[in-house]
Amino acid sequence: MSLNGSLGSELTRRALPGGGYTDRPHGLFRSDATAWGILTARALGLSLEDIDTNCGRLVLEQGQDGRVRISPHYPECYWPTALAILAWQGSPSNQAAQSLAIRFLLNTTGIHFAKKSESPSGHDTALKGWPWIENTHSWVEPTATCVMALRMAGYGEHNRVHEAVRMLLDRQLPHGGWNAGNTIVFGHELHPMAEGTGSALASLAGVVAEGQVVRSLDYLQGEVDRLRTPISLGWSLIGLAAWGRWPATGPALVERCLSNQSRYGSYDTSSLCLLALGGFAGDPKTYSPFFQRLNLNPASTIVSS
Amino acid sequence: MGSALLLVPRRFFRMPQRAQAFVAQVDDYQRDIADAITRSIRELGVSPEELKGKRILLKPNLVETASGAPHINTHPLVIRGAVEAFLKLGASMVVVAEGPGHRRDTLAVFEESGLADVLTEDRIPFHDLNYLTGYELPNAGRQSRLKTLTFPALFQEIDWIVSMAKMKTHHWAGATLSMKNLFGVMPGIYYGWPKNVLHQVGIDNSILDINATLKPHFAIVDGIVGMEGDGPIMGDPKKAGVLVMGRNLAAVDATCCRIMGIDPYQVSYLERADNWLGPIAGTSIEQRGETIATVRTNFNLIDTIPAHRGLRLV
Repeated sequence: MSLNGSLGSELTRRALPGGGYTDRPHGLFRSDATAWGILTARALGLSLEDIDTNCGRLVLEQGQDGRVRISPHYPECYWPTALAILAWQGSPSNQAAQSLAIRFLLNTTGIHFAKKSESPSGHDTALKGWPWIENTHSWVEPTATCVMALRMAGYGEHNRVHEAVRMLLDRQLPHGGWNAGNTIVFGHELHPMAEGTGSALASLAGVVAEGQVVRSLDYLQGEVDRLRTPISLGWSLIGLAAWGRWPATGPALVERCLSNQSRYGSYDTSSLCLLALGGFAGDPKTYSPFFQRLNLNPASTIVSS
Repeated sequence: MGSALLLVPRRFFRMPQRAQAFVAQVDDYQRDIADAITRSIRELGVSPEELKGKRILLKPNLVETASGAPHINTHPLVIRGAVEAFLKLGASMVVVAEGPGHRRDTLAVFEESGLADVLTEDRIPFHDLNYLTGYELPNAGRQSRLKTLTFPALFQEIDWIVSMAKMKTHHWAGATLSMKNLFGVMPGIYYGWPKNVLHQVGIDNSILDINATLKPHFAIVDGIVGMEGDGPIMGDPKKAGVLVMGRNLAAVDATCCRIMGIDPYQVSYLERADNWLGPIAGTSIEQRGETIATVRTNFNLIDTIPAHRGLRLV
């Protein structure tokens, strides 16, 4: 499989007749896969009619309050909402659905509480971002995707986005990088992870000064060449591109990751699309509208690694 | 009188249970682990008929990876040994599956832990449980407020679930062994990363609910090199030189605790599981293989971690 060759046909194979994408080859409809599929289809320049059909299918997963669920039976699993906002961006026929989803996010937080003096956790537990699942704490990746979605939809100056940016900076590890969202526990600084770092960096580009995240950029730049799996590599390439550090080795890394499917089996649709978007982030001809909307210009700032 | 009765732990009102646990001394990962596991399974009275044609799912403890810290995760060679043992004993299929709570990129942990090399070479399938569509079961444990639990649909095609834990101290739960290891079967798409839904309703409650509902069939705990101190991630390696196995997870975990110098009655979820999910009293567990006294090695506990206080077995 290649990014510009067979990826489009692979995506088409995972498309359902009534709209939407399956979670994996011959799998079932999933809202997160559909949102990532739409973003990738746009980057590939696939049929606008098909994209519109897929956007419409995503609307069917939306609850009355605006949340987009992993499936209707699990309304508490609303983490695909930010992805749906990204997917619907610029689609006039889905503007109402997108507005409803934005309103939901702006009125939703996870569980937050004032940090007690004896708390073993290093982070500020009062700062609000967004959780993966209803009635849980805010974590890095869902907060990063919500920040990206709200910024892209024109809500970058909203108080919730400002607070979420503070929350993300607070969750940055002292030596650089992010993980799922715990910094120090019982006096030990925890390990950074590429996927958390990439998503946080992508969401903070253009909002905070480089000096505030430079350790994280250095960490990720040092990691990227050894990454072999789609979620880590996809988010890392997106995060580095957002700061003008998309690596010269990017095409080879994407190629290697795609070929690793012979080792791991076919990637699930969301992971495959995330990897593709990471790959497109460094290509001036095919880079995704996903980045254009963030007013980023990754292609002009490729660096040697 | 009535209020005094409320203070007596529930386990005192339960019928005593009995179980076996097997302790195999394995000094390092280069030994014949498959043979040790095969002999242990036979010693525990698992008959060929019980395994013949069965589909076995091995659930290791893959958390995250860090340079110089292989003791975070179940060692790949223990997993290879279990694969070989179950196939040798007649299983028709063995798969390995995990849904890490700390990392959303399961494949990265699979790769970086060294497990991918082993399973690829052996042509054993690996499943990422975090993204599999789930099926619901009523919460049979009823310790937390969760009315149902959602497990990966893959489990409906499996006959035996084997918890392959790492022997570690844990800064929230005291110790993480075969029962706690099953947090990793709960799909991240429904429980988050970390699986914060389970934390919000109580870690101990969730451990009991998952085990009561899933009813796993067997446990193998990798204590060849475990973790002491600030586990489950930041602790130090601790060589115990054992594999601990058994059909009953509570009994296996109680045995592991005693090997680690931990009183299982001070580990809250084990105390609550006693004579419900299995026995934890030393007198109720038939110890096979090595005696605890010959392999006991105290794992370091940290006074500043509340879950470690008072755990030491005297």
